[in-house]
Amino acid sequence: MNNPDVLLDVSDYSVGFRTERGLAQVVDKVSFQIERGKTLGIVGESGSGKSVLNRSLMGLISSNRQIESGSAFFAGDQLVGRDRQDFWGKRIGMIFQDPMTSLNPVMRIGRQLFEPLKQHLSMNKEQASQRAIELLTQVGIPEPARRLRQYPHELSGGMRQRVMIAIALAGEPELLIADEPTTALDVTVQKYILDLLKDLQTEIGMSVILITHDLGVARGRTDEIMVMYGGRMMELAPSEELFSDMSHPYTEALFSAIPRVDQPKHTRLTPIAGAPPDPVEPPSGCRFSPRCVYAQQDCTINLPEADGPGDHKFACFYPVNTDDGRSARAANIENGQTATGLKIQTAGVS
Amino acid sequence: MSQDVSTGGVIEAIEPEGAQAGIVKKTLGPGFWLAVGWIVLIVLLAVLAPVLPLKDPNANFIDIQGKGRPPYGPSGDHWLGSDQDARDMLSRTIYGARVSLVVGFSAVAFGFTIGGTIGLVSGFVRGMFDKITSFIMLVLLSFPALILAILITSLMERSLLTIALTLGILSVAPVGRLARSASLVFSEREFVLAARTMGAKPSHIMLRELLPNVLIPMSALALLGTAVAIVAEGGLAFLGLSVEKGSTWGKLILTGAQTRQLEEAPWIAFVPITALFLTVMALNFAGDRLREYFDVRELAL
Amino acid sequence: MRRSLQRLAMVVLLLLAVSMLTFVAMNVLGDPLFNILGPIAGDTENPESIAKIEAAKAQYYLDKPLPERYVRWLGDFVQGDMGVRFASDGQPPVTGLIKERLPRSLVLMGMAQAMALLIAIPWGISSAAGSLGGVDTGPRSWRFLVPFALKATAVTYFAQSLFGSVVGVVMLSWFIALLLAHQFAETVPAARELVDGVNKTMSGFSSALSFGFISMPNFALAVSLYYVFALKQGWFPLRYDASDGFFTRMWQLFLPALTLALPGSAVYQRLLRTDLITTLQEDFILMARAKGVSKRRVLFRHALRPSMFSVITVFGINAGALVGGALVVETFFGIPGIGTAVVEAILREDFPVVLAIVMIVATGFVVLNFLVDLLYSVLDPRVRS
Repeated sequence: MNNPDVLLDVSDYSVGFRTERGLAQVVDKVSFQIERGKTLGIVGESGSGKSVLNRSLMGLISSNRQIESGSAFFAGDQLVGRDRQDFWGKRIGMIFQDPMTSLNPVMRIGRQLFEPLKQHLSMNKEQASQRAIELLTQVGIPEPARRLRQYPHELSGGMRQRVMIAIALAGEPELLIADEPTTALDVTVQKYILDLLKDLQTEIGMSVILITHDLGVARGRTDEIMVMYGGRMMELAPSEELFSDMSHPYTEALFSAIPRVDQPKHTRLTPIAGAPPDPVEPPSGCRFSPRCVYAQQDCTINLPEADGPGDHKFACFYPVNTDDGRSARAANIENGQTATGLKIQTAGVS
Repeated sequence: MSQDVSTGGVIEAIEPEGAQAGIVKKTLGPGFWLAVGWIVLIVLLAVLAPVLPLKDPNANFIDIQGKGRPPYGPSGDHWLGSDQDARDMLSRTIYGARVSLVVGFSAVAFGFTIGGTIGLVSGFVRGMFDKITSFIMLVLLSFPALILAILITSLMERSLLTIALTLGILSVAPVGRLARSASLVFSEREFVLAARTMGAKPSHIMLRELLPNVLIPMSALALLGTAVAIVAEGGLAFLGLSVEKGSTWGKLILTGAQTRQLEEAPWIAFVPITALFLTVMALNFAGDRLREYFDVRELAL
Repeated sequence: MRRSLQRLAMVVLLLLAVSMLTFVAMNVLGDPLFNILGPIAGDTENPESIAKIEAAKAQYYLDKPLPERYVRWLGDFVQGDMGVRFASDGQPPVTGLIKERLPRSLVLMGMAQAMALLIAIPWGISSAAGSLGGVDTGPRSWRFLVPFALKATAVTYFAQSLFGSVVGVVMLSWFIALLLAHQFAETVPAARELVDGVNKTMSGFSSALSFGFISMPNFALAVSLYYVFALKQGWFPLRYDASDGFFTRMWQLFLPALTLALPGSAVYQRLLRTDLITTLQEDFILMARAKGVSKRRVLFRHALRPSMFSVITVFGINAGALVGGALVVETFFGIPGIGTAVVEAILREDFPVVLAIVMIVATGFVVLNFLVDLLYSVLDPRVRS
């Protein structure tokens, strides 16, 4: 707030849901900032709370079972605890995972694109259709005028995702939240869409939150990356630093689970053993401890808070790049299992 | 139905499958038992009517000195009032239930026996038999049912039997169609295929494997069907075409529905209307709950 | 194309079967000769009567075998000649009666279906809207105030006229309290709870009401509506009079049409509600909301159309039930339409009229359901291609 460059300032933000079994803490005390024109990547497995975090921040979850706390300032306006409808489309745009189901099947592309133009920019039909053609051209759709009269089912998946991006951009938002924008697409199309997003961002100068389960997607396309697990922030660092100097075992685990070019051929990818934690009854101590090869006794007792030097924060007692971490891992490998009872197969750990 | 539907799948993801599907869905609820209670009560009253301390439904309790000219309003004497001939509405309504219920239940019994058998067999054997019966059903369904009912009843002596039979015949086609679709579904199931490959006789498969499975969804429909038959009988009676002897709810409503009667003594019409409405609603509700309970979506319409 | 042709062939075959069955039944169950000539038909002693019988037999092809008579009748029917009535006052053509009665019934049934949809769509939407969350109904926006004021006025007026002014005053103060509760809902927790509680109660009430409408037999509903609104309140005329002016007659048809409409509207509402709740969980609804479209627009423009399929399917089926309902309602309200015509015809054994009406109803039903099939492709562009 003090810094005029900060567009979104989230601190201690939590989201819970009342369920039959008790309170499910899906997002737990998350803090981060996004500056204008910058991109933040939020990375985590499914169930890590990354999607709920953003939908909840947007106020798109309308359930009376939801409990929200903490604060989130968008350009100085507090979002938490108020109706956020006047931000939708106009100041914050959103695109979703599945372009096949996210466009209205019984409405022409044109009308779906005109809606935000008419609503947020008070355009008349002619202006809207002119602007719509510009937008479609901008996202790289050939024959834009013809597309306006088509229905979503007449377009391919990649085309539909482009249309969705055009719709999200139509209201000229200051922030674009892209929730797994490429997960449902063919691998060949994924790169085009991601590069398009990057180009558009530099062109328009908006901020972007890129949500993904794939560290590789965030690499090179984000300024900062936040790694989430079990609703908590595990690590937050400038992108380059995260990759060159990762501190959290979970980040490392995610990183070893993706194929990389710099690896020798046929290197084994290491899947992360176990399943994400239950949000109603999370493991005590560090949420990741049951699946962590570094876990020690105190990891299961105390909950590490995200902290660290400068803008690189992490929530771990035994960071991977420290002597503590290295000796913790070595001790666990020697024992053949961690403090939480996770068996370590020496062959899998190089 | 809870209010939270648009949680973007969050709640669904948090709660294990069993919590919602297992406990919340698989109870019939107090409403169901209330409805069943009402149906049982009405049936008991109808069956036991001659033994119960009720006034003679056909006796005229005229009391010119005490109360003047009938109809009499509800009082200690006549709890639900009397009609224009000073007959007791309570006992007339209870006796009226006898005809309405007998017609309702026997029509459904007839329709379900005939239609159910045809549907079951044609869904199982398929081929030419199925094609022919399906077409016949389709033809029957294209007739406006009430016109057909009026036609049959107008041409015959209007006894309890003919009315019940008419409504029973009319329910053959819709029931048959539903039984056929249920039978088609179950014929494809593993247990039927297994029985076939083991060389069981078709008749054996139909009786032992198909029938019990088709019966479950059909039981829910039987309740809905009874409601429809009771309403149909009422409609016929309202047009003056139901059973000639004895009173039915429809006939009672018809006598009360004249403008003069409605003005002077609305209870003559509204006592049987209430009884009919509550019974139909109870049957519908119980049937609906059962259908949800057994989760038979393909039979929803 | 091929599929439509097959369907058309099926429809024609179906109508032929219906007509054949009815024709045979009419001619076997009744004696046409007796119906045309009256008692003379049985008088085979008198040469004068015999001559008349012979003449009638020749005129109406009664001396020909049944299949030939059927073919002749069918040929005439297709050309619009429905034969003559069996009536005591000569043999007037059936067509005349149909021309007089049919439009009236069509108006009645059309009105009923239109009313049913007009009631069901807002009802269904408002009963499903809760699942979209409570936004967009701030107490200060006219979008909330106008419907609220309309609802309050209508309910208060009904309560006042039906149950007296005390109840009216209670209702009015209740609505004022509710409005205040909406106003302070954001700040005062008790007000929020009250609003939530009222919404919950109303949704329970709405589903009970729709179940009640479905379970109310049409004749009982006719009597009840007639008693309350025509007899007690005097809002509607007691009788239909064919000699009145157009608008008076339309007004006279209002209550009968409402009787036919209410059960249908409840069925449509339940279907629409279920489908809407499913649609509202779709991704494209989330997308529409995220682009800033108002809740109202999301419901009416985005969610309604893809949720109409069950409703229009049943719309076609319900037309059949409506014919049965029209029979009862026309008889009760004294409307000389096709329903009363068929009842009279059956009772007087005027079989050509019954035959004609059965054919018209069956054809109408089939045609309507054919149109409903076409409507699917209008509603969903994916069906078109």
